[in-house]
Amino acid sequence: MADVYTPEWYDLVKEAINNRVAGMDGLPPETLHIAVDIEGDGVSPYVDEASSRHFLIRIAKGACEWYREVDEAAQSTDEIKLDYRFVGPASEFDAVVGGVIDPIDAALGGVIKVRGDMRFLMRQAEHVQVLLDAYTHGVQTDWPKGEPPYA
Amino acid sequence: MREACDVVIIGAGHNGLTLGAYLARSGLDVIVLERRHEEGGGLCTEELTQAGFLHNVHANYHTFVDMAPPVHDLEVRSHGIEYVRPEVQMASIYDDGTALTVHADIDKTVESMARFSEVDAQTFRRLYDEAHGFVDLLLGTLMYQPPMSVKELTRALAQFGVEDRSEFLGVKLRRETINEFLDQHFTNDKIKAHLAFHASVCSYTTDVKGLAIGFPLLVGKINNWHLCVGGSHRLAHALWRDLAQHGGVMISDADVSTIMVESGRAVGVTLSSGEQITARKAVVSTVDVEQTFLRFLNKDAVDVELREKVENKIAHKDWTLFSVHAAMNRLPEYEAAEFDPDVNRAWVVNLGYSSPAELNEDWRLIRAGKVPDPRPNAAVNSLYDPTDAPEGYYTGLLRQFAPFEVNGVGAGEWDNMGRWYGERCLDVWKRYAPNLTEDAYVDWVPFTPLDIERKMPNMVRGDWMMGEISLDNMLDQRPLPELGQYRTPIEGLYMGGSTQHPHGFITFGPGYNALQVMAEDLNIDPWWRQI
Repeated sequence: MADVYTPEWYDLVKEAINNRVAGMDGLPPETLHIAVDIEGDGVSPYVDEASSRHFLIRIAKGACEWYREVDEAAQSTDEIKLDYRFVGPASEFDAVVGGVIDPIDAALGGVIKVRGDMRFLMRQAEHVQVLLDAYTHGVQTDWPKGEPPYA
Repeated sequence: MREACDVVIIGAGHNGLTLGAYLARSGLDVIVLERRHEEGGGLCTEELTQAGFLHNVHANYHTFVDMAPPVHDLEVRSHGIEYVRPEVQMASIYDDGTALTVHADIDKTVESMARFSEVDAQTFRRLYDEAHGFVDLLLGTLMYQPPMSVKELTRALAQFGVEDRSEFLGVKLRRETINEFLDQHFTNDKIKAHLAFHASVCSYTTDVKGLAIGFPLLVGKINNWHLCVGGSHRLAHALWRDLAQHGGVMISDADVSTIMVESGRAVGVTLSSGEQITARKAVVSTVDVEQTFLRFLNKDAVDVELREKVENKIAHKDWTLFSVHAAMNRLPEYEAAEFDPDVNRAWVVNLGYSSPAELNEDWRLIRAGKVPDPRPNAAVNSLYDPTDAPEGYYTGLLRQFAPFEVNGVGAGEWDNMGRWYGERCLDVWKRYAPNLTEDAYVDWVPFTPLDIERKMPNMVRGDWMMGEISLDNMLDQRPLPELGQYRTPIEGLYMGGSTQHPHGFITFGPGYNALQVMAEDLNIDPWWRQI
């Protein structure tokens, strides 16, 4: 158990991802960098309203190599070229983690915006499903300030 | 005279200019060649009737504004473009005097539909919400990327369980017509007629198997129709300005006669004037497949099998458009305004299709070469752009679905019957708006399917989508499997016009997608991909 969005919680998510992809066939050989911007919306108690939390994640050969919380929305640099960005309101990210809404529904409905080469995601649908399953069901999460759905 | 550059682009329509502008911004030396006296292709605005009346000869509806990446990347609005999104986007007027209106505000559209069927109005609301929600994802996946295959898409949709999550989206749509989709989800004929009419104006024929797959996307942007103030041609100017500001050159009156090929590689073009322009990196054709492979390329440069396919297998739309461009001294006042006053403010009005069956019957007639009794749609741009006519005057545009070849005697018949058919279309308009008597028109001219091809030879058979809209001619199969990824079997020669995925209309898609492929091949830094 770990409090949501803490380093311990992300470590557990990383572990859950890597356990799930271990031994999977057909993993993409590419190294991918994913930016995640969780925007405070006045509903989630985990991100202050009018501020955001930003994360940068590296996926290599299908596994999570590292994640970092960064001060500002990550941008491509000479060293790290971003492949995808997920952006959305904090309460929606909370709802995904809490199993209240499905991440695919959130993306299809445009609640969480996805930017990047969608063809690659479509072609790697099976792998994407595994990553999402680890994120949403792989960790027992504590919600010290309250749990979604919020009233 | 022999000029040299990095990339030669044949055709200065919006795709050619868009591609050219991106490449110029990427530091390449670009020349865009246009056969006509000015740039624009389908972005053609002319004073067809009288001085001061600006008529959009081809493209009138800009439905991808703020959705298409080039609008942002090329800072189109900074080049003098102003778009208006009409409050009342569209309407259907039915023979019983009722009318349905589509508004920029979707709540008002739902209210209008509810006057015909509360259940259908709520269904439409759910369809719109769902489609509008995933429109970004669909555009990113389907429109503004080189295409995936239907098989790949189907597999991914199944893997993500889209069918189980969605009331409207699903793999089965690839086997259905738009009519079937409408019958499954809607009950009221007038609502179905309007949605079918809307799809048809977008060139999605309602009785063609498989086109249901594109229908939700059409609904997701049903209230995103924009008018380019001062005429659609302004967009061409804006793109040309961007090209020029970044060092690119557009040459008009430049009729390409040959694409030069050396050792299997495209190395430039020869103009009919004899001038040669060599291309160090690439030649791009944004005109039709037929001209590109049968006229511009020498026979020995094209594989025999490909040549035969271009001769025999390029599919064109089986209907086209007959238009009337009118200079008017009054706005239409529809009798149906008693039922819904907003029809008088509707930009585009369907005059008479009250059921999908009526559209189906017209498709049947048109395919048989018959000219149907007119049920035109009427657009009055001046309602939202007073600059397109002198003060106190207005422009009108009637468009009628029509065959290219008439009554088995060929397209030439349009020269004999254009004026007559135009009068019939105007008679229909007057039936719904009785104030449009003969003296309402300062002038008017017909613009026939044959005129389309004469003015724009790349719109073969008046095919303003530059290729049939069908499942067999979509995605990576468009226009042929071997040309479906913008590359051609000739090294250094690319296809970047509306013959390619996604299709015609002012999407910017073909040019933008060709850019992605060229960036990969030519090692161009894709600065436009903002993650």
